Amino acid sequence: MTAALRVEGLSISFGGLKALDDLSFTVNEREVFGLIGPNGAGKTTVFNCVTQFYRPDAGAVFFRVDPQRLAKNATKADTEDGELNLVGRPVHSIIRQGLVRTFQNVEVIPELSLIDNVLIGGHVDFTASMFSQMFRLPRARKEERAYRDKAMAALRFLKIDHLANSLTGGQPYGVRKKLEMARTLMAEPTLIILDEPAAGLNDAETEDLAGIISQIRDDYQCAVLLVEHDMGLVMNVCDRICAISFGKFLALGTPAEIQQDAAVHEAYLGERDDD
Amino acid sequence: MSETLKPQTRRWLGNAHLQYLLFGAVLCLLPLLSSSGVLKASTLSTLAFVLIYAIAAMGLNLLLGYSGLISLGTAGFMGLGAYLAAYVQDDLGLGFWVALLAALVVPTFIGILVGVVSLRVRSIYLAIATLCISEILLKTFEQAEWFTRGTAGKQSSYPVIFGVHTDRQAMFVVIVIALIAVMMLTHNVVHGQLGRALHAMRSSEVAAQAMGVNILKYKLFAFALATLYAGLAGALYLFFLKSSYPSTWNLFLSLNVIAMVVVGGLRSIFGTVAGAFVIIAVPELVLKELPVIGDIPGLPYIFSGVLIVLVIMFFPQGLQGLWQLVRDAISSRRHPSGPGTPRATAEVEPPLGTEAVTR
Repeated sequence: MTAALRVEGLSISFGGLKALDDLSFTVNEREVFGLIGPNGAGKTTVFNCVTQFYRPDAGAVFFRVDPQRLAKNATKADTEDGELNLVGRPVHSIIRQGLVRTFQNVEVIPELSLIDNVLIGGHVDFTASMFSQMFRLPRARKEERAYRDKAMAALRFLKIDHLANSLTGGQPYGVRKKLEMARTLMAEPTLIILDEPAAGLNDAETEDLAGIISQIRDDYQCAVLLVEHDMGLVMNVCDRICAISFGKFLALGTPAEIQQDAAVHEAYLGERDDD
Repeated sequence: MSETLKPQTRRWLGNAHLQYLLFGAVLCLLPLLSSSGVLKASTLSTLAFVLIYAIAAMGLNLLLGYSGLISLGTAGFMGLGAYLAAYVQDDLGLGFWVALLAALVVPTFIGILVGVVSLRVRSIYLAIATLCISEILLKTFEQAEWFTRGTAGKQSSYPVIFGVHTDRQAMFVVIVIALIAVMMLTHNVVHGQLGRALHAMRSSEVAAQAMGVNILKYKLFAFALATLYAGLAGALYLFFLKSSYPSTWNLFLSLNVIAMVVVGGLRSIFGTVAGAFVIIAVPELVLKELPVIGDIPGLPYIFSGVLIVLVIMFFPQGLQGLWQLVRDAISSRRHPSGPGTPRATAEVEPPLGTEAVTR
């Protein structure tokens, strides 16, 4: 099995606090990988280090980049065996490599329609120059039409295509969550990072979400890395799970193995009383 | 109107670019009304200033409305455009086109520098930084007499365009053409990838970057385009009025341009023009004619200040929102049984920084 993402020895401190301490794990291609841990364990910090919102103090983030994409982005020189170290790269260049994320507090644009929001996910794919867009030259128009179709397909995949032209602002939370996922699909990702996708969803919606995550992996042939507090969802949907606590590696394994792990129990429930 | 028209005609009227062209054609009739005596000459001048300021406001709308950036520097950039146009046309004698080009390129270049500043400072601090740049330009206009003739004022003349000697009414048509071009260009920018990137940047810089939007590039783009429009507006001001005084390009003008954008409705192209009309033409054509009220000094400023406060407090979507309400009311009266078009209403926060500015 090839690795989609290899995190090696990641460490970062904020002031005196060591948020991540020598953390390593590997996400394989086309697998759903869960990252769990108690509050403040550093899960979101891992995401922010991978997507370069934070610069880690030490460690490396190797990401496998599709050969076709490599040719297009001309970053061949930086890669080793098709793997690119993301550390130090500009935040806005990460999505270009096929790594895209969602946010804990759903970052969609309320003043735009759903389809325009999805199109933002395709931002880096547009090749028409600023000039040709400002004067609406045939090339820019053709490109806009093509990507609009692609965005429609992403909305259809999440079954919210009937809302394509409605304003995002008035939509219920569940729709906005799905919209954010549709937007990630626009980028033709090889790895999608979901930050607490089930937060704020009811039971029916969470079940629906589990189906969507598996379907994304199967239909779009990409890996999914998710942070989630809803253990039902994590155990249900993940192929493998990594547990962390206070920025340190705790355990790695299948959902069944993690459920049996003593260290994980201790981190979540505290030490067992001897009475 | 829509029911009585054929579907084909309706589609034509729905085309935004055609709407702009029709609007321009109607505006071009105004000089005819003036020469036939229906419209007073002073009224035509007031309307010309409405259109000139609408161009500058369109640029500020790109910043404030779409990109969530604030600028209090509009007046300085307009003034720079005006003085450059006068200097190149009259002092250097290089003609209309070179003068226009200079008035576009130089402010745009400075605008890009401001864009770099905007990466470091935001909201109220960006407002102060842009205000400083504007004040520096204003002091320069007062002191650099070789360039501006200082407080005595720079005099200019109507330009010669394609060998035609223009006059007031021809200049009015030139202004209309410029405005329509700006409206169409703005429409293209905001209804495509560029506009979506600006929206994303306003909504959340973090999310925008995760989607691959290069914040540096789009901030520079927004400032460059806004100052380009301001430079154009300044040049047109000069060619229409044939003179420029430093006192014109002060903070009050910048605040007035913000008022136009806020009153017209953020992120609306026609709304911006309507906002410019309310802020410039209403005090000039209506309030001044009133007894007692008309004699209050500084009346236009009081008017636009009160209007900003009222709009932000009670009607944050401005004139454009009013227009939407009217349209919805008409269509729901026509189809009383039909499903009302659900529109996401009024979840609009006051534009970034304006609450601080108007305080």
